[in-house]
Amino acid sequence: MTAAVPRQPILSARGIVNRFGRQELHDGIDLEVLPGEILGIAGGSGSGKSVLLKTLAGLHRPNGGEVRIQGTPVERIDNAAKAVLLGVLFQQGALFSSLSVAQNIMLPMRHHTRLPVPQQERIAAMKLELTGLPAESGIKFPFQLSGGMVKRAAFARALALDPRILFLDEPTSDLDPLTASGIDALILQLNRSLGITIVIVTHDLTTLFTVCRRVAVLADRNITVDRMDRLMKSGHPWIHEFLHGPRGKAARLGALSARRQSHGTG
Amino acid sequence: MSRASTVPSPTLDVLADGERLALAGALDIRTLAAAENHLKQQLRQRKSRSLDLRSLSSLDSPGALFLRALREQGVKLTGVREEHKALLDLVCGLDLKPLPKAPPVARWREVVIGLGKGADTAWHDTLDVIAFIGQAASATLHALARPQDLKLASVSRQVADTGINALPIIGLMAVMISVVIAYQGVAQLRPYGAEDLTVDLVAVSVLREMGVLITAILVAGRSGSAFTAEIGVMKARDEIDALKVMGMDPMQMLVVPRLLGLLITLPLLTFFSDVMGLLGGALTTQALLHISPVQYLDRVQHAVDASDLFVGLVKAPVFAFFIAIVGCMHGLRVRGSAGSVGHETTRAVVKTVFLVIVLDALFSILFEEMGL
Repeated sequence: MTAAVPRQPILSARGIVNRFGRQELHDGIDLEVLPGEILGIAGGSGSGKSVLLKTLAGLHRPNGGEVRIQGTPVERIDNAAKAVLLGVLFQQGALFSSLSVAQNIMLPMRHHTRLPVPQQERIAAMKLELTGLPAESGIKFPFQLSGGMVKRAAFARALALDPRILFLDEPTSDLDPLTASGIDALILQLNRSLGITIVIVTHDLTTLFTVCRRVAVLADRNITVDRMDRLMKSGHPWIHEFLHGPRGKAARLGALSARRQSHGTG
Repeated sequence: MSRASTVPSPTLDVLADGERLALAGALDIRTLAAAENHLKQQLRQRKSRSLDLRSLSSLDSPGALFLRALREQGVKLTGVREEHKALLDLVCGLDLKPLPKAPPVARWREVVIGLGKGADTAWHDTLDVIAFIGQAASATLHALARPQDLKLASVSRQVADTGINALPIIGLMAVMISVVIAYQGVAQLRPYGAEDLTVDLVAVSVLREMGVLITAILVAGRSGSAFTAEIGVMKARDEIDALKVMGMDPMQMLVVPRLLGLLITLPLLTFFSDVMGLLGGALTTQALLHISPVQYLDRVQHAVDASDLFVGLVKAPVFAFFIAIVGCMHGLRVRGSAGSVGHETTRAVVKTVFLVIVLDALFSILFEEMGL
């Protein structure tokens, strides 16, 4: 499928089947995620993107197939190990509404480590700074935050234990374009500096063009994984329509200029 | 559920070779606490302050933050691996500010503030209830004056939801309550040889008080909470605003049918509960005192008259009014998120049950004064 990469996949899914009643969402999906990469999962509404993400993160048990993370079946990884291995950014943030932002970030630390509270607070402050939130937002409660800040705070919480793999469910949905670009830049930065493997479920074409090295497209209950430039040449009607439609073109141009700005070179 | 994982937990060693200190292994959030204790001791014993990181296999951001703190204390970090440099540079480059602390409030001041806030909300709640009663009453009268505006289908659905579907549980409760009263009556009256009066006790207390009270409390918990939750979810999802923008009055569409529905059903439910309560009394007295159903009926007729039934039933519409009003009002008070639906529902149920009991007490005094 892709150019031969000698690295072992950090996450591999084999023959994933998901059914809801009579409706079959996934019919034997194979997917490999390489360490340090950013993989996008795209697909139309109702194509089962979020279910696939939940399956990969071990939150949903598939009707068939197996997900392995670092060689271990995901359902056999114990809670403490899972916490430092996986992080999920949920679509609505899923911040605990009764806790402040800082307490949200410190909750997994409190549960899984014996670090003294002042140190937990320092780490939480660092995560806030990393995700671009001011330190003052630490004492705010989720309902006091704007949409973009909720996403960033949820990011900070997903990063609390420095997981090796971060799953992002629609990280830029419901955000204005400027804030969404900020999130895209944040994803790239976290991937580069912390070396986190990132799996993004999105139908935001700009995100796919800007940050994803490889993209898995869900169409017709199956999956096509490839680099973006090769997917552009795909003969599959849905993929073609998806990438060459009016929004696809606009996103491609936008992504090119965005990348030029953030990298210096394209 | 979770079985042992094959992922080994990381280890970190602090190696001391004369004056040189080195870290080997993984410096991450799991090994951080141990590393900190270890290093502090070692650093205290030494003059030269340098730490070698050549054998550090992995580093995460809390680990990097710890290294940054060491560096700021004057420890020299040597042999930083290429793959850790980016992270270390990033963390060292961050402009870190401590989390702000919420200003602490003294315990006694908290109590005073809580008291003041409580009084303030109670006062505003009362005003809200009064205002809402006015609005709901005017909308109801409006609907009654112009029957073509009345949503008869909605009213009948409310009657089914709040009335017919509640029959089994209310009947069961009424029987149970009269069983309790009858047992207590027999036990307490027997020493005086007056256990026959148990029938009077059951009949009077069920008809005057227990029938209507149990029904109202059950309906408050069952239907009042449903009103708050239904309307609250609609409010949280902007459905109320959708009604308004399409020129429909939420009062007319949502509150009036519920209010009328409950005004119809609660008196009927109360009557049903009275009948079931008397039935329960008949069963219990037959079992305990061997009073036959015919004797029981005769005795009941002797013990109570129409005014007792009336005293019970007349309270039902009043209770119904307040249950519906408070339920709907709290539904419309939901703000923003779905979380406040639960909060408002709890408050609505507590408030209606409280109101029902307070009103019942007031009725008792009123009827006593009236000599009923």
